[in-house]
Amino acid sequence: MKYTTFNQKNTDFMLEPMFFGNPVNVARYDQQKHAIFEKLIEKQISFFWRPEEVDVSKDRMDFQGLSDAEKHIFISNLKYQTLLDSVQGRSPNIALLPIVSLPELETWIETWSFFETIHSRSYTHILRNLFTDPSNIFEDIVENEEIKRRAADISKYYDDLIFATQLWQTQGEGTHEVNGETHIINMRELKKKLYLCMNSVNALEAIRFYVSFACTFAFAERELMEGNSKIIRLIARDENLHLTSTQHVLNLWAKGKDDPEMAEIAKECEQEARDIFLNAVQQEKEWAAFLFNNGSMIGLNEEILCSYVEYIANQRMAAIGLGQPFDVSSNPLPWMNNYLNSDNVQVAPQESEISSYLVGQIDAEVSADDFDEFEL
Amino acid sequence: MNKDKQARSISVTNGPSFLSTPDHSILDDLEVQGIEVEYHCREGFCGACRCKLISGEVDYTLDPLAFIDDDEILPCCTIPITDITLAI
Repeated sequence: MKYTTFNQKNTDFMLEPMFFGNPVNVARYDQQKHAIFEKLIEKQISFFWRPEEVDVSKDRMDFQGLSDAEKHIFISNLKYQTLLDSVQGRSPNIALLPIVSLPELETWIETWSFFETIHSRSYTHILRNLFTDPSNIFEDIVENEEIKRRAADISKYYDDLIFATQLWQTQGEGTHEVNGETHIINMRELKKKLYLCMNSVNALEAIRFYVSFACTFAFAERELMEGNSKIIRLIARDENLHLTSTQHVLNLWAKGKDDPEMAEIAKECEQEARDIFLNAVQQEKEWAAFLFNNGSMIGLNEEILCSYVEYIANQRMAAIGLGQPFDVSSNPLPWMNNYLNSDNVQVAPQESEISSYLVGQIDAEVSADDFDEFEL
Repeated sequence: MNKDKQARSISVTNGPSFLSTPDHSILDDLEVQGIEVEYHCREGFCGACRCKLISGEVDYTLDPLAFIDDDEILPCCTIPITDITLAI
């Protein structure tokens, strides 16, 4: 079905599935099939922040004092996070917007991606402060084998879905040959690709960020690189919200509260979904090994970090009905939670409910006294 | 928070039972008792603290955004309105 930017057909969005129904026309939020997505938009916008607001100047001195092993850990994590947010800043838009069918979900996807671009800009903000010229850091992201391996796995499911959607929207259902390769395009296959892609994104938001988060906060526990830590806290708060959204999508499907065919696919592909998650866990453990290959840092080593990955994977997998495959019952890094608590994220006056800071604030209370000085 | 300010009994399966404190979330109460519960946001949007409500009823102090299954609650933003039993 050809994509149209304004579907001329009058559709009842209350009857549309989240994806692969009719394309959205009017961006209206007066009636919502899944109201949760508008609540997520509101919450996400209330989190708005700019990297420039966070002073990272003291980090430069801290960084000079780190050991080589610690510098390697710090910079490698920044590189990996840059990759993750580069992917997330564009892919939900490119992969999901062409197939989304609900206005509130469409706007959520755009809001979500926009916040990932704030994250990307903050990595440049951090690196510019540490290095006069950070260009070799960025260049290494596409050359570093450890990062490339992860990038391939993360982008694979997006790329698959994007390509199949393009074929479907230009050629329709059927068997198509492109560059000597045969592709079978039908709705079932498209929905399967969407399901696997959503699981891969969910695993990304659920665990892939957390190895880096743990290292950042381990530096902060030693009062090092605190500007960076403030930024990562803001990022972690956003990522927690993004994770909530992918958990909602997956559970709406699995519980038959959206497209009934997606409920079937969720059952059929459960093992594949689990494998996507377990594979991400494995890759994150390998990443932890790579981080510590020059030596550990105070408060953190490969073993503890791997057990934290398992712990958090248990939580995240249980949330989407995949059980708890790992034998870790208590949090090996309990201090992490202090950094992930939104109360501890500093709130600027203009973000809280002080009306004097609101732009264009109008006093809507009018009493009889207000006319005392008027004379006719 | 708790409209009638009444302390309710909170029981944890395979764990202790204790009384809730009015004006405190179930998560706060659990922490005071030294029971380890995972948490991140403490604002109902991340779902890290979700646990199973075996019996009883709770009230939400805010509109939770995290996914919560039918038999689950978020202790970070709930207070008990009857005696409750939780599985953590």
